[in-house]
Formats: sequence, C-alpha cells, structure tokens
Amino acid sequence: MLRMTNLSKVYRTHMIETHALRGFEIDVKEGEFVTVTGPSGSGKTSFLNIAGLLEEFTSGEYILDGVNVKGLDDNQRSRLRNEKLGFIFQGFNLIPDLNLFDNVDVPLRYRGFNAAERKKRIEEALSKVGLASRMKHYPAELSGGQQQRVAIARALAGSPKLLLADEPTGNLDTAMARGVMELLEEINAAGTTILMVTHDPELAVRTTRNVHIIDGQVSDLVRKGPTLVDTKSSVNA
Amino acid sequence: MFAYYFKLGIRSLRRNPALTALMVITLAVGVAASVSTMTILHMMSNDPIPQKSSRLFVPLIDPATLEDYTAGEKPGDIQITYTDAMNILKSGLGVRRTALYGVAGSVEPPRKEIPPFTMGGLAPTRDFFAMFDVPFAYGQAWTEADEARGADVVVLSRPMAEKLYGDVNPVGKRLNLMGFPYTVVGVTEKWKMLPRVYLLQGGSPYATGEEFFIPLASAVRHETQHNGGMSCSQNIGPGFAARLASECTWVTAWIEAASAGDRSEIQSWLDNYANEQRKLGRLKRNAPNRLYDVPGWMEYTGVVGKDAKLQTWLAFGFLALCLVNTVGLLLAKFSVRASEIGVRRALGASRAEIFRQFLIETVVVGLVGGVLGLLLAFGALQLISLSGKAMANLARMDWEMLSLTFIISVGAAILAGLLPTWRACQVTPAIQLKSQ
Repeated sequence: MLRMTNLSKVYRTHMIETHALRGFEIDVKEGEFVTVTGPSGSGKTSFLNIAGLLEEFTSGEYILDGVNVKGLDDNQRSRLRNEKLGFIFQGFNLIPDLNLFDNVDVPLRYRGFNAAERKKRIEEALSKVGLASRMKHYPAELSGGQQQRVAIARALAGSPKLLLADEPTGNLDTAMARGVMELLEEINAAGTTILMVTHDPELAVRTTRNVHIIDGQVSDLVRKGPTLVDTKSSVNA
Repeated sequence: MFAYYFKLGIRSLRRNPALTALMVITLAVGVAASVSTMTILHMMSNDPIPQKSSRLFVPLIDPATLEDYTAGEKPGDIQITYTDAMNILKSGLGVRRTALYGVAGSVEPPRKEIPPFTMGGLAPTRDFFAMFDVPFAYGQAWTEADEARGADVVVLSRPMAEKLYGDVNPVGKRLNLMGFPYTVVGVTEKWKMLPRVYLLQGGSPYATGEEFFIPLASAVRHETQHNGGMSCSQNIGPGFAARLASECTWVTAWIEAASAGDRSEIQSWLDNYANEQRKLGRLKRNAPNRLYDVPGWMEYTGVVGKDAKLQTWLAFGFLALCLVNTVGLLLAKFSVRASEIGVRRALGASRAEIFRQFLIETVVVGLVGGVLGLLLAFGALQLISLSGKAMANLARMDWEMLSLTFIISVGAAILAGLLPTWRACQVTPAIQLKSQ
C-alpha cells in the first residue's frame, strides 16, 4: 500500500540544514492499522506530510499503491491525493462557513462525481459516523468529537485506500477520543488501511503495529498483533 | 466546477463583510469615475452616422490672401465661401450634395396663447435630408421645384411642430417665420445627430437638434443672417450681396459619394477646381485642398476636446489607484483563508483549482462592484447632465457603455486579484494544517 525506501527530507535555510528524515524505510500493507509514535521533532509529521503528498521528499523512493510518486507534477499529486488518500487532522480542519454536507462534499467535487453520486456518498459517510441528521448544521454547532466525526466522514466519502490521521484524538476528551478511536477501528475492520500519528501510548497498543521514530529514522518496530489481511508485511528500519 | 466556485464566491462575500464592503466600494468608485468620464468621451467621439460616415465628405478650400501665409498651413476656418459651395453644388460630384448654414429667427405661433419666440434652425439644400438620413413624421423635404425657386417652405422638428400646432399634422399650414409667411411641408421625426458634425459652427456640437429647416435659396433670398462664425481675410462691402460674392467663409458643403472609394475622384475634382480658380485670380494661396470623411472631419475639427481626453486618463489613473487598494484588501482577505486553502489542497485541489476558485471569487467581487459602480456612474452622469443641455445630451449611458462597465469592473477585479490569487496558490498545505 505504502513503501518508502531510503527516503530523506532536508529543510534548508540560508544558514541551516535540518534533516527531518534520513534513510527512512517503511512498508505498510493493505488493511493494516499502523500507529506512528515518537518524541516531538522526531519527524513524525514530516513523514505523514510526505506520505500524504503534501510535501516533497529530498531523496529516496516512495511508492503509493503501486505508483512511484517521484517526479509527479502538482496536478498528478493532487489527483492521487484525492483518489487514494483520506486525511484526519488533530484540529479537524473543517471549513467553518460550509455546513456538514458541503464540508464532506469538498473532496468529491475535486473527484468530479456527478451530483447524485456525491449526495449518495455524503449521506452514506455521514450516516457511518452517526451525523446524517445534522447535515445542514455548521461545524461551530457541533462538539469537538462530532467535528472529528465529520472530518472522518469527509475522509471516507471518497473511498480512500489509505487514511492518514495526525493525532486525531489530540484535541478531544477521553470519552470522545475513545469514540473516535472505535470509529477508526471499525473503518479499518471494513478494509481501509490506516496510518495514525499519536502521542498516546494507549492508542498505540490498540493498533496492528506501532512504528517509533527518533531523529528522522524508524528506531523501533513493535508488532502488536495480526493485521486484518496478510501480515507478511514488515517495516524495515 | 465554475458554478461551484461561483457559489463559493457569493458565499465568500458574506465572510468578513466589512472587508468585502470596503473592496466593493473601492472598486465601484473607481469604476464609476472611469465609466462616467468614458461615457462622455464615448458620446463625444461617437460616429453619428456609421452607415455612411466613410462616404460623406466635407471639402475645405482656402480662399485667404497670401499675407502671412506659410505653405501647407491649415485654413483659418472650417467653412468655405458661398461661391465655392455653389460651385460644388453644381459639380455633379457623388450622388448627393448639399450646402448649408445655421439660421435663427423669430416665429409667430399660430396659437395666440404662445407669444412669439426665437428658434434655431438650418438652411440646407433638399439633399441634406436624404444625405443625413433624417426621418420624417409627416410630409417630406421640399421639392426640387421649391428649391429652384427658393420657395418659402419649412420643415419643422417634431417638438417644434407640437409646440406650435399641438398633436396634429401641420403639413400645409402657414407659419410666420422671420417676418415671412412659410408653408409647412414636413415634420422630422425625433432626430438628433451627436455630435452635430454637419455644422460645427454656431453652438456646441452636442447641442439640441435643429428646430426648423428652410431652403438655402429661400434663406439667401430673404438675406437671412447666418448664425455662426465667419472668417474673412479681407474687407467686404456692405450688404448681403457683397457677402455672397466675398471670399469670406461661412457655408459648409457636403458631398455624398456612392462609395468610400470615390474619394480620390472628388479630391481630384477639388484640385482641378482650385487650380482653375487660381488661374482666374480668385484663389491666391497654393494651399492643399482638404477633403474629410466624417471620422476625419471630427478628428480635424477637434470635436473631442483635449480636456475630455485628459479627464478620462485621470479617471483611469484613479481606477488604477483603487485597484492598488483592492489588491491590498484582497491580500488581507485571502491571507485569512490560508487554512482553508491547506484543507482544500489536502483534499485533492491542485494549485490550478485553487487559482480558479479564488479568481472566480474576485470576479464575483468585480460583478458586485460593477453593479454598485454602475449605480454611482448613473448618479454621476445625472449630476453632469445638470450642467447644461449639451452635457445632458452627452451624459447618457448606452448598452455599449453598460456592457463596458461590467467588463471594466470584472477586468479590474481580475487584475487586482491576480497577485493575491497567485499568493493563495503558494500556500504550503502542510504548515497550515498543522497550525490549525
């Protein structure tokens, strides 16, 4: 599903060179639920941004669902992002002046689905997260947990193969975080691969695998249990 | 996606309404200033007879003396002598010819409740009506026979006919004009050439249309004084007959050719004619004989004043200033949208899509600014029209200017939106998403 080989990411300013990732290697198989942990500044977010095609990498190779992303132009990367990836952010990142229906509609518009197809997918996605009855509400009218559910619905509406979650429970209280985590587990159980960055060790132990990053490299691989599909995959660091 | 982005653009107007209002007003004021001055310029430089302006010609023959003459210099007047005008009428040039001068005279209304008053008119030959496509409400132009004998017949303008006779057909009625009994033979339908190119002497070229027309021969027979300027390079004797025979310029002549291509033929006739007149000792200068079609005539006579052109340039300078302000406001408006741009990019929008979305948003701002600008321009034109009849004729917006208002407004908004939109495309999504 996702393979990075000897990947590096260097941020350069006039004075300083910062190696966010170096010799980074990871292989995530279809159906896995992988958590990524590590201290602040270890390179987790850089990894997630590169995985999500939001940032370019400096060297190495990255294959996403069989597509070598190196050298793709902005249009090709955007299309790949739209078709294959779903994003869930710590801060929810809903567009405040769009109602729930229109928020979930955003990625579907870029996909070019017709109105009927979009409506069907939006209703299905919002039903899946238990918010079908609040389609016309605006994000500000919802609790944090509900907003994150909308963000999950938005990520799911386009049927992505890989869901990238950046500390999705970081802004939620314990009860809401549990609810969101259970929802993610359901989604994974239904076949969607999930890559989740978290600081919460309790969440990390609930997933198939935990990858620990220190100084831009995978330093530790913790296998927690069988993946939902073939678990022959490995993470090489 | 255009409809989707347009909808988002309308929705975006409501976001940050104070900033939006400021932007719309800035744009509207700039558009109103440029459109209202451009409307005046447009009306001033309007081709008043586009269907035949390239084949209507006005000749200029310089009859002045050699005193202080520099070869090639422009004639001192934009009219010709009565002698030259009569010779042009007899020349057989083109398909129609006319000679004319402005007249003004008192009229005794048949309705006793209206006191005598003075009205302004024209003394042309009968071809004038066909040449300048003057429409008739009643009757027609005077006949060739009337023209030949200088009959006292008159064509009235519709407003004048209604003032004198009410809402009836006055053809055949008598009218005491300038002390002579005239017979009404026709009433022109509402007709006003703007600018009034056929006679650029005597009043503004944008003044109200003629109130009456009498045959040139009748005006001459009654020694009707001309209403306008006259240029003489030598003293003339007393009396109207002396003026007719003089080398003073006070008549305008027009020639209608079958096609614009006949111009060289008319020019060569003019040159031959002037040479002949020189040999006869009448014309002293070896000045070039000028021949202008309608656009050339407007250019030569400077119908569109330099002030009007300068004002338009200044108004566009003001629009540019407004645009610079709009650029700043749009930058502010879009900069607070960085997180939205990051989200849209993460969800699959390419830079090109973001560019399209934000550019369409600026188009929406431009359209709203255009509507408000149009209202302001209408207001400004109303104010301008209060400054006199001639300005009232000019300060009118036609469909062309109406469309141009929106083109200017949307074009200005797009221009102002290019930099902010480009900046919006450069947003790094990763940073925005994390900073939420």
